[in-house]
Amino acid sequence: MLAETVPRPAETPAPVTAAPLLSLRGMSKRFGSLQALADVSVDIAPGEIHCLLGENGAGKSTLCNLVFGVYRPDAGEMRLAGEAHRPAGPAQALAQGIAMVHQHFSLVPDMTVVENLMLGQSAGVLRRRDYAGRVEALSREYGLALDPYARIQDLSVGERQRVEIVKCLMREPRLMVLDEPTAVLLPAEIEGLLAVCERVAARGCSVVLVTHKLAEIKKVAHRVTVLRGGRVVAQSSAPAEEIGRLVRAMIQRDLEGLGAGASAMLGEVAAGDDAASAAAPQQKHLETPKPAADETLQVDGLTVRDAEGVTRLANLTLIVNRGEIVGVAGVEGNGQSELAAVLSGMTPASEGRFFVRGREMTGASPKALTAAGVGIVPEDRHAVGCITAMSLAENLMLNRLERFRRFGLLDRGALRRAAEETMQRFDVRAAGPDIAFSGLSGGNQQKAVLGREITTEDLVFLLAAQPTRGLDVGAVEAVYGQIRAACERGVGVLLISSELDELLSVADRIVVLYRGRVMGHCAAEPGARERIGAMMAGHEA
Amino acid sequence: MSSLAGTATLLRQSVRDRPAILVSIVAVIAATLCGMALVVGIGVSVPKALAAFADGAWGSPYAVAASINRALALALVGLGFVIAQRANLTNVGGEGQIAVGGIAATAVALYGGASALPVPLSFGVPMLAAVVAGGIWGAIAGVLKAKAGTNEVISTLLLSFVAVWILYGSVQSEALLRQPMTNTATLPESLEIPDPTKLPLLSANADTPLHVGLLIALAIALVTAIALERSVWGLRLRAIGLNPVAARRAGMRIAPAIVLVLFLAGALGGLAGAFMLQGDQGSLKARFSSGYGFDGLVVGLLARGSVPGVLAAAALFGFLRSGGINMELEAGVPSAVVLVIQGLIILMLAGTAFWIDSRKEGTR
Amino acid sequence: MTDEMAAVFVGSSLRLGMPLMLAATGELVSERAGVLNMSVEGMMLTGAFGGAIGAWATGSPMLGLAIGLVAVLPVALLQAWLSITLRANQIVTGIGINILVLGGTTVAYREILGRHNRTEIPGLARWSPPGLGDIAVWGDAVFRQTWLLYAGLVLVVLAAWVLRDTAVGLAVRAVGSEPRAVDKSGLSVTRVRYGAVVFTGLMSALAGCFLSIGDIHTFTEGMTNGAGYLALAAVIFGNWKIGRTVLACLFFGAATALQFQLPAMGVNVPTALLIMLPYLMALVAVGGLVGRQTAPSYLTRAYVR
Repeated sequence: MLAETVPRPAETPAPVTAAPLLSLRGMSKRFGSLQALADVSVDIAPGEIHCLLGENGAGKSTLCNLVFGVYRPDAGEMRLAGEAHRPAGPAQALAQGIAMVHQHFSLVPDMTVVENLMLGQSAGVLRRRDYAGRVEALSREYGLALDPYARIQDLSVGERQRVEIVKCLMREPRLMVLDEPTAVLLPAEIEGLLAVCERVAARGCSVVLVTHKLAEIKKVAHRVTVLRGGRVVAQSSAPAEEIGRLVRAMIQRDLEGLGAGASAMLGEVAAGDDAASAAAPQQKHLETPKPAADETLQVDGLTVRDAEGVTRLANLTLIVNRGEIVGVAGVEGNGQSELAAVLSGMTPASEGRFFVRGREMTGASPKALTAAGVGIVPEDRHAVGCITAMSLAENLMLNRLERFRRFGLLDRGALRRAAEETMQRFDVRAAGPDIAFSGLSGGNQQKAVLGREITTEDLVFLLAAQPTRGLDVGAVEAVYGQIRAACERGVGVLLISSELDELLSVADRIVVLYRGRVMGHCAAEPGARERIGAMMAGHEA
Repeated sequence: MSSLAGTATLLRQSVRDRPAILVSIVAVIAATLCGMALVVGIGVSVPKALAAFADGAWGSPYAVAASINRALALALVGLGFVIAQRANLTNVGGEGQIAVGGIAATAVALYGGASALPVPLSFGVPMLAAVVAGGIWGAIAGVLKAKAGTNEVISTLLLSFVAVWILYGSVQSEALLRQPMTNTATLPESLEIPDPTKLPLLSANADTPLHVGLLIALAIALVTAIALERSVWGLRLRAIGLNPVAARRAGMRIAPAIVLVLFLAGALGGLAGAFMLQGDQGSLKARFSSGYGFDGLVVGLLARGSVPGVLAAAALFGFLRSGGINMELEAGVPSAVVLVIQGLIILMLAGTAFWIDSRKEGTR
Repeated sequence: MTDEMAAVFVGSSLRLGMPLMLAATGELVSERAGVLNMSVEGMMLTGAFGGAIGAWATGSPMLGLAIGLVAVLPVALLQAWLSITLRANQIVTGIGINILVLGGTTVAYREILGRHNRTEIPGLARWSPPGLGDIAVWGDAVFRQTWLLYAGLVLVVLAAWVLRDTAVGLAVRAVGSEPRAVDKSGLSVTRVRYGAVVFTGLMSALAGCFLSIGDIHTFTEGMTNGAGYLALAAVIFGNWKIGRTVLACLFFGAATALQFQLPAMGVNVPTALLIMLPYLMALVAVGGLVGRQTAPSYLTRAYVR
């Protein structure tokens, strides 16, 4: 045990007047070879907003899942209002008055709001109208606008989150746990959510808010516990004043030293930002583009309608120039996935065209696009980007296996060597190229997928969709570093991300997508934040 | 003695590293014991039943050859199953594919002028017809899957029913394949196929009717093993089976692969039908496929994706079938007991699959 | 076609379609909960066997029915245990159970009744709704059916209502669509799925009893003869909605009825073709030639927390 990582006993917050509502002592949990939590002790007072701060992979979600009964702890003790708390499953936790809003919503898409709320809550014949009434009452009380009879799949992400919160509030909980709730919200919606948290706490229900965004801590946190590598490394009763100390505890580095994208990930615009952008050789483009010769990607009037006829992308037009990073801002669900799908050849466009270096590529197959120098880092790497059961080497070379064909058979030696080269270059850490892909950490998996796409032969265009989601600071830095390096070689990059701060610090130019349309575009300067936020919410530029 | 101990250690190690083999062995033994319990329940003496079984399975060179011949058909269906399984497709239409193959081979042998052709073609052409017919039957399911997303289990199964009834219909009607009815007692079956269209025997001795199909089947098994494990095509097939979306994104073409793979599975089923017709039965009867398709399915399942596994399982079931037939003839044990044993084997293997997979290591 | 023939045709269609309706409704519930039971065939056969032997042994068809229902429970629970708890491949285990049941019932039948080949098995009584049964020509052929047919219709309607308007039905529908939502709301995904599979078993057993003690009043080896797979096809045809599924079953029943109808009308179609007809129709249905399919998202996928 290293001295630096063990919290000093003095860190334990001085007991407040009331006894803690929830008391965790020595919580530990292991998944296979990964020690997710080790000896974690936290106190949650009644009616307080307690933030769990830590980067991705620190163990915050695991701790919440232990409290909520999704998992059972290997060691440690939980006490709820003085009584031992050992839920065998969510049912018991719910019965004890603990409610949780997860990062991935658990809503049934083809059912209505009311039906989702009745699930597990009612018995016998369904009384839809009664529930609709209750929903409306709660909406009014907490300021959560909802249509009780809307189907979940027709709701926006922010609205779905409201359903999850109403689901919690209906049970009149003593403790509400929110796991990274603002990751999927519009800037304006974030304010709304924080206000709801304050209202909930004011009514006596404690709120545990899991986050890695410092701005949120500053706004609403009464107390903060910082986790790193599964352990408690800092706690604070006056978080707004101690941000620097908390950051240092969280990532063991100072905010100032972080690369642009990485610091933005934490929601802070660091001093290092301006320096980084000043060092960038490319110019910033305010309006539309330079002459066609320099265009890497030209999208013209792209329209995509899904199987049910709903328009997901409407008349989209945009341009990416050589060596430029264009950020596509917008909350999940506004057409980003469809854009990536069309550009990777997975979905046909209903209307419109797109060109890569002047050559029309509309309707081209994924293979043709790869041959034309298009690399795509998909949003959901597990679904589209990789095959977890295959080896790292096979995944790294998945789209160019014919290079390793000798008399029809696979040359495993050559495959391995090529894979090792890519692993080196992109700092993919694994025991060896023959390890199953599923054995790599999330950050290394993402680096691997990125590495494969960047090493596309004659790469001219790279699309990266949510490339830093779920990654720790180190991996985030590596990813943006590689993307920047590709740009310097003349590759045009389209960066789709719902992390506005990251886009502002990494991209040259930002295009905002709302309901499948381009709402507007502007330069990527910190000052443009308000304007972009407004566009993300659907207000015209 | 030390070499014995060494062998034992090696055996133990290989079984521990491959829990699947251990489970397969245990499943077969346990199921057989249950079968024996059933035999006791019926009131037949176990020694008598076992003696009849052994006699029919390997009691004479004739029996051994017959068992191996049976095993060939099962092996082909099993290989087809394994190929399809690589792409995560489950082909349960073996019965129908055999039937369609049998129909095509009979038609060509009897009325297609095959008997007039020089020797390798005289039996080769009907075989080819069977392969193509079976392949098309499988490909229908492939096209349905590729175009409409139809679950291939249901479609191959339904196609199987249809094919079996087509077979039934074709031997009922003189306009089709039925032999001319000389009197009311004429059985509904085809004429016997001419000698040149039958598969030549490996030895001149008619007491061991082992035919040339053995060589063909072994060759096919070898090619399949190499293709699946070592070729780029095989790796791509595996990718498509594991994650078709990612495979598509990586430039692989899914729809043609699905159709091809089910064509191959059907083609092998058709070939099995040709073997049964031209190597064994000599004419097309109403109950032609008589369970070989489902037996082949079980063989494919038992093999858990490995070609040597298919061969071993096919041999097992070939002998099992021969023994079972004799058990019914000599000891009065209904062949349905073999069905019970098969069902138990399938359930035990399927039930432990998850446990086996979770014990496999992460490295390839 | 004379009036008489038409009446017989309609009556036969109902009679032949009813077991499919029962089995398909049962299977639909399982599939809405995300479990695919290829073993419907085996469960029907178990019910048919249990019902027949039970009726023969006790002399009472009602007791036979009860025994048939009890007999299917171990089969259904086995399927549930394999699919849900052991997370085995649902398709493979279903087929395995079918083979096992076929073998088991054949052996058992030969043992118990083999020597008494022509045994009359007491069958379920016939019934018809008051008044309707007395209509000239049509009344007898169409409305005078096994009472199990009418009970079955009631059950199907009841099942549709429960699925749509009760908490239990809500849970079933949710489990197949988004089991995580069900888990996080405190309900047990496992319990809901087990219940669904047992329901399928009971309905399939009723269907089987319909065949053996309701319709033919005998048991023959492997008498279900693929009806279970037709029921599965009907669910797909019906796009997992009870109304459409029932229609599909009626179609299949009519197709089977044609086997006897066409020869009676002097139309000479080879038997094989007629027997094949329902399977061909089913193939057309699953080939998506009757519209887009929207299967429950989690069908055949085991749930792990």
